Amino acid sequence: MLVKVASALNLGLHTLAMEVEVNVANRGLPAFEIVGLPTKAVAESKERVRTAIINSDIQFPARRIVVNLAPADVPKQGSVYDLPIAVGILATVMHCRLPERSLFFGELSLDGTLRHTKGALLLALFAKERGVENIFIPKSSANEAAIIKGVNIYPVENLNQLLSFLCGQISFEPAIYKENQNKQIIVEAEFDMSEILGQEQAKRTMEIAAAGSHNLFMVGSPGSGKTMLARAFPGILPLLTEKESLEVTRIYSASGRIPPQGSIIKIRPFKAPHHTTSPVGLIGGGSRLKPGEVSLAHRGVLFLDEFNEFPRSALEALRQPLEDGYITICRSREKATFPSRFILVASANPCPCGYLYHPKKVCICTRREIEKYRKRISGPILDRIDLYVEVPVVDIKALSCDQKVKDCLESSKTIRQRIIKAREIQQRRFSKETIYTNAEMKNKHIKKYCQLSKEVNQILIKAGTNFHLSARSYFKMIRIARTIADLEGAQEILIPHMAEALQYRPRSEG
Amino acid sequence: MEQCCLLMKIKVVEINNSEYPCLLRQINNPPKKLYCKGKWDVDIFRNCLAVGGSRQMTTYGRRVTDELVSKIASVGITIVSGFMYGVDAQAHKAALLSGGKTIAVMPCGIDLIHPGYQKDIYEEIIAKGGLIISEIEGGSLPAPWTYPRRNRIIAGLSRATLVVEAGLKSGSLITAGLAKKFGRKLFAVPGPLTSSLSQGSLQLIKRGADMVTGVNDILADYGLVSPEYPANYFSYSGLNKLEQSIVEGLAQEPKEIDALSRLVNVSTSELGATISLMQLRGMVSEEKGKYYVNF
Repeated sequence: MLVKVASALNLGLHTLAMEVEVNVANRGLPAFEIVGLPTKAVAESKERVRTAIINSDIQFPARRIVVNLAPADVPKQGSVYDLPIAVGILATVMHCRLPERSLFFGELSLDGTLRHTKGALLLALFAKERGVENIFIPKSSANEAAIIKGVNIYPVENLNQLLSFLCGQISFEPAIYKENQNKQIIVEAEFDMSEILGQEQAKRTMEIAAAGSHNLFMVGSPGSGKTMLARAFPGILPLLTEKESLEVTRIYSASGRIPPQGSIIKIRPFKAPHHTTSPVGLIGGGSRLKPGEVSLAHRGVLFLDEFNEFPRSALEALRQPLEDGYITICRSREKATFPSRFILVASANPCPCGYLYHPKKVCICTRREIEKYRKRISGPILDRIDLYVEVPVVDIKALSCDQKVKDCLESSKTIRQRIIKAREIQQRRFSKETIYTNAEMKNKHIKKYCQLSKEVNQILIKAGTNFHLSARSYFKMIRIARTIADLEGAQEILIPHMAEALQYRPRSEG
Repeated sequence: MEQCCLLMKIKVVEINNSEYPCLLRQINNPPKKLYCKGKWDVDIFRNCLAVGGSRQMTTYGRRVTDELVSKIASVGITIVSGFMYGVDAQAHKAALLSGGKTIAVMPCGIDLIHPGYQKDIYEEIIAKGGLIISEIEGGSLPAPWTYPRRNRIIAGLSRATLVVEAGLKSGSLITAGLAKKFGRKLFAVPGPLTSSLSQGSLQLIKRGADMVTGVNDILADYGLVSPEYPANYFSYSGLNKLEQSIVEGLAQEPKEIDALSRLVNVSTSELGATISLMQLRGMVSEEKGKYYVNF
């Protein structure tokens, strides 16, 4: 007797329909075979399914069982086919009808309970798209899938419970999405902005970066506080919007980073990979195409400390994600596209020894060494960074005694309020566009949304010649000025906005 | 490019030639032959000022070099220096920028450009009627002993020597010593006591070099006066209150924008906007993260 159970296959961020065909033959020697390009984890599913069924006090049929995973030419990975296989076998043995338009997805434990699986959200999205009504999924993953409304998500605890439901013995309520109760959503950063003395301009730059999601480059001597500033950065970021959080949760679901009972991600991710990270770790890839740090930082922050120390290959690979906001990885067997729209916060020393602009220590680098050090970052990468700021070494002792410094310290919360307002303005502005923030504006958007008055344009042109700005920098300045105007709630870009934007231009001279 | 320099005609001037610079002939061991690139013109040697200083030039050193050299060169005095990076290169650059003439005396063979990355200055010196001089033929590399020998030519060519910024071990102190020995005038620019790169020049002043407090101190020696000598440094008119306090704050000491914002009590965003505009108007300039008022 043949039973077909619907399931799905997650490839990168995409989901393919899959059918698990289970045939329990009346003739032939007892056996249990899985065909259809199973990888090791799928092939081992035989033993898990058999043991789980037996441990659920159900008799395992001593007949010839053949399972086919269709389409048979796509390699199957992971352990999530345990449940459809077990359901197929039980349906033949117990002669119960499977509900129509349903998906089964989940890994079995040897005692017959179901384990947390990755990709539940992707599955629910796929189900909604295809008009699938019911999804049977492990209980611990159910909340994650229930984020998507309009699909019945059945949280399955163990095989016995599922079997009783399928045979019509008990009723079963679909899961209702619960926002995570035990963890309050507080944006927390390692440091609060009010803990950082001085560095007023660097903080202001961070505010602009957060408001318009501009990329930021900090240059400063060791100990000047670059890392501390970057670690405080998540504290001033607003929560993800609904659309954004779905995008982010999807990536995290696909890579199995949503904990049991997990819900939608509201806080912007902050990723700080070490400078020895390989290009694949940063960009994504591997034999099973996993999203890299750039995608895990989607809509959040990618902090690259000691930017010049990263291998050139890794930095150059950042070009596409920085420009397009997504990364396409092609391997001989498969291809995947992951979104990767993040705020790049890069920090570097001004020279190899680090003390080029230090007020007390003497720099021991030769000009050639400094040039070589700076050349490690290519022009195209620097072109994609909007904001540049120098982080000077501050005399903490002197500053901590200065009442004036203390008076103008702002907490991250206060700064965040301003950023939320600026982001709301941008949301309204780009409601008919596919972009969300000022930093994403291409030339056509700039023409449409950033009309410059004659006076402002004059300043920009004058600055272009005086400060040797490239054509690309010209547009950067307009984007930054737009964000500064948004922070102030101004409709038009005025002279002070543009003049301030010029402060954050790249400094070419050594 | 390298080849183009090699192909360029090299002129050799021997000591008994009438074209040989007469000031140089007066020193006790003048070079027997001078190899030279560029247009040889006896006039260029008439009024020469040697400028020397540290390779590790500070921003102060750069600004002083720019200020003094541009005014000196623009009244027709030839700037002679050693083409090294730091004060030397800055002096060449400032002279070229103000339309003056400059002579670079190389420590290496005449065919070599050293340091190579300053090729653009090298070519500009020749293009603008200046000279490249060396007493060594061919493409031999500079060595520790060629620098002092080069310095004797610099000092020998010039009526006076100006030391802008020098540490205690600076090569420009050798040039200064030679200038004294040859009986030429020696000028030194005072610098902050707290800077190691001022100790050499301060020592020169203490031992009798003329202290330079303005461009006319040097020009007077040549019987000239700068036409654009400012009555008062740091004076700008038509400033608003914030701009005025920025100028006052920066005139005392160059500052980072954070420190300046604390001093004038204005947020960095507002201050940044104002100072960008002032920079566009040429009133302040920025270097190594600090802002300066322009002279």
